[in-house]
Amino acid sequence: MSTEQIAAPGAPSPSGETAAGPGPRTGAHAGRRPRSLTTRRSWSFYVFAGPWVLGFVALTAFPLGYALWLSLTNADGLSNNSRFVGLENYRAVLTDPETLSSLARTGVFVAITVPLSIAAGLLLAVLVNQPIRARGLFRTLLYLPAVVPPVGAALTFKLIFDRDSGAANGVLDALHIDGVSWLMDPYARWVLVSLVLWGAGNTMIISLAGLQDIPKELHEAARMDGANAWQSFTKITVPMLSPVLFFQVITGIIAAVQSFLPLLISLDPTPRGVTSVPEGNYLFMIHVFAQYFANGRYGYASAMLWVLFLIIVAITFLVFRLSKGAVFYSVDPEPTRQSRPRTIGDK
Amino acid sequence: MPMSTTTSLDRRRFLAVSAGTALAATGLSACAGSVDNGTNASGSGKTTLTVMTVENEWDKKGLKAAEEALGMNLNVIIWDATKLNAMLAAKNPPDVVRGFGATETPYFAARDLMTDLDPYFAKSSVLKPSDLDPVNDVWRYDGKKQGAGPRYGMAKDYSQDSMFWYRTDLFQAAKLDAPSATEPISYDEWLDLGKKLVKRRLGKVKVYGLNATGMGVFPQLMGMTASAGGSLFAEDLATVDFSSPEALKALRWYLEYAKADIGPSVVNPNPDGWDGPTYQANRMAMSCNGYWFGGLIGADAKLAGVSRFAPAPQFGSNRVSSCFGATGFWIPRDAKKKDAAWKFFEWYFGGKPAQDRAASGWGIPSLKSLRPKMPQTNAFQKQAFAVQEQELPHFSVLSFTPYAQQAALEGVLNKVLPGAVKSGTSAGKVADQLNSRMNEALAQGKELVG
Repeated sequence: MSTEQIAAPGAPSPSGETAAGPGPRTGAHAGRRPRSLTTRRSWSFYVFAGPWVLGFVALTAFPLGYALWLSLTNADGLSNNSRFVGLENYRAVLTDPETLSSLARTGVFVAITVPLSIAAGLLLAVLVNQPIRARGLFRTLLYLPAVVPPVGAALTFKLIFDRDSGAANGVLDALHIDGVSWLMDPYARWVLVSLVLWGAGNTMIISLAGLQDIPKELHEAARMDGANAWQSFTKITVPMLSPVLFFQVITGIIAAVQSFLPLLISLDPTPRGVTSVPEGNYLFMIHVFAQYFANGRYGYASAMLWVLFLIIVAITFLVFRLSKGAVFYSVDPEPTRQSRPRTIGDK
Repeated sequence: MPMSTTTSLDRRRFLAVSAGTALAATGLSACAGSVDNGTNASGSGKTTLTVMTVENEWDKKGLKAAEEALGMNLNVIIWDATKLNAMLAAKNPPDVVRGFGATETPYFAARDLMTDLDPYFAKSSVLKPSDLDPVNDVWRYDGKKQGAGPRYGMAKDYSQDSMFWYRTDLFQAAKLDAPSATEPISYDEWLDLGKKLVKRRLGKVKVYGLNATGMGVFPQLMGMTASAGGSLFAEDLATVDFSSPEALKALRWYLEYAKADIGPSVVNPNPDGWDGPTYQANRMAMSCNGYWFGGLIGADAKLAGVSRFAPAPQFGSNRVSSCFGATGFWIPRDAKKKDAAWKFFEWYFGGKPAQDRAASGWGIPSLKSLRPKMPQTNAFQKQAFAVQEQELPHFSVLSFTPYAQQAALEGVLNKVLPGAVKSGTSAGKVADQLNSRMNEALAQGKELVG
């Protein structure tokens, strides 16, 4: 292996040329590399990156721009008489009590389901990480609900919690307790939370991967120093797992804010039925769907989506800021040139 | 400034090329329909007709038979409101679309999205206007009201949706007289029967006494208001008025029905989404569904033995029995193969499929000439046919608004009624809330339609 092959990116090569790093090649050194090699490398990079960029432009940037334009009109998607209304839709979104209450409800939903599902996943991960018999079987069984498609899970919950013929009320009936309208307010939101927790296998599997990455020596050293299980968990496991938990918080928030599950456990998951979702489960995205396809308010619904997009960006930024100091990385996530590890193949 | 002679792809140029390609691809996909030569991918030379319909319209064998009969390939798209909206907006719609004539025709016609089929009917030797059942008038809209003007579609079959079916075994068990097969009962009598037939246990309804709304709450309230001699919509169809004495009567009745908790309602919807499974399972005594429901019942001899059909209940002397569905097909204005679509119409509505449907008992045929084919073999079928025949003269078209979809109006009902039922809000206050919210939605639609 040559010296060049293990040179760190950014470090000077024996020829005096800066190794290829992520930034653009500028300055006097840029033109020294043989052109054919530069061209070949840039082409291969762009060939690999191309499909993603194409997809991003066609499926993300263009729809975002189109939705932005729609949000400035009173379009219903079908009529030819729509007109430009400026920021009127945004003013309406920020003042409409129904929209604001669906947003607040979504906030509560996120605040309940994200911590609960991460905690449940972590708890399950810790349990199935123990050296117990049939550990593989338990892992499989606990992960299985996460594999079930959301539509199937929602249908099952709908049947279980039906007031008149569901199993939940069947149990209450056997105990001579009055049945409950689980799928209607005020109980519907708790059925929804249960449905989210039912899929905790997803967070379990991620936490389990993180747990298995923690060196055993750390726990052994702690035990030798007299730490009990709780101390070992809170002082070693959680800090070492913090990047994984942080990832789950970010993705969990984004997924929960955009949750469509209430529609799946509603009684008629169609544009017509979307309006029959109980008030307690009438989350922001359900309201967006209703505005688009039940009410034909494409302009207003597009403004709602843009507001939601900005909220998600703001929350993500906020969480990143708040996480500083709380998330422990074993490798510096923002390495300086000097601290970058050397990579085989770098030149 | 010297021109660059480099042949390498720099980052900016790459991003610009990618963006251009992606946007071009996006644009081209929208134009794809306009360059469709109508032949299938196999190059057989046959026309390919795109039909948007429900999943169970044809099985594989049925689809193949349909293609053979039509001499064309059928590209079936599963009906989906969101997909249809997107295709209509992109001006690349299916050639034939399934729809509810009673509630969708004014909405789509007012937006100039439907093809006027009058020239096709005028030329057709299969679908003659004189042979069309009056129900097909729900597919007409003249810009001001439904039931007149150009024909934009046709019903495959229909029912008078305020009629109801009942189970004689549950009536006998409750020691109640069965409803008359010739004289309609009043809505109050109907509610009273429902209350007597319901069976409960520990807060659960074990047997529903009655489901009062087979086709949705809004159409049912429209029909009830009409039967009381009024109309929910104003003459210009741009506003609703739940505060009129007739509409209030209907609204009060529905609130009492929902509060009584004797059947599926906005407060406790049926988890199955329709009455079939509940009725079959002996858990519903009376089901507000039209003649089509008899297709389900007739397939089960035991169920047919204890089921009977009854006229639509009435509020007053103005006997009205409307259709809120009239499911059929229409041809979008921007459809690419209208002649082929009409050929499909003639086959589907006037050919063998129409004859098979008429004989199946799953609805009243939409051609008068097919009515004798309705099943009348056994006692159950004879009773249903006789009741249906007596009900037909009371059919009338109730105009639906072009300014909002039924889903939007149902949405308002779903928002307002559950709280009102629980809190016991007076019908007058509920009417005010409904007027305010629905009229706001209708005003937005009116602005767009002009």
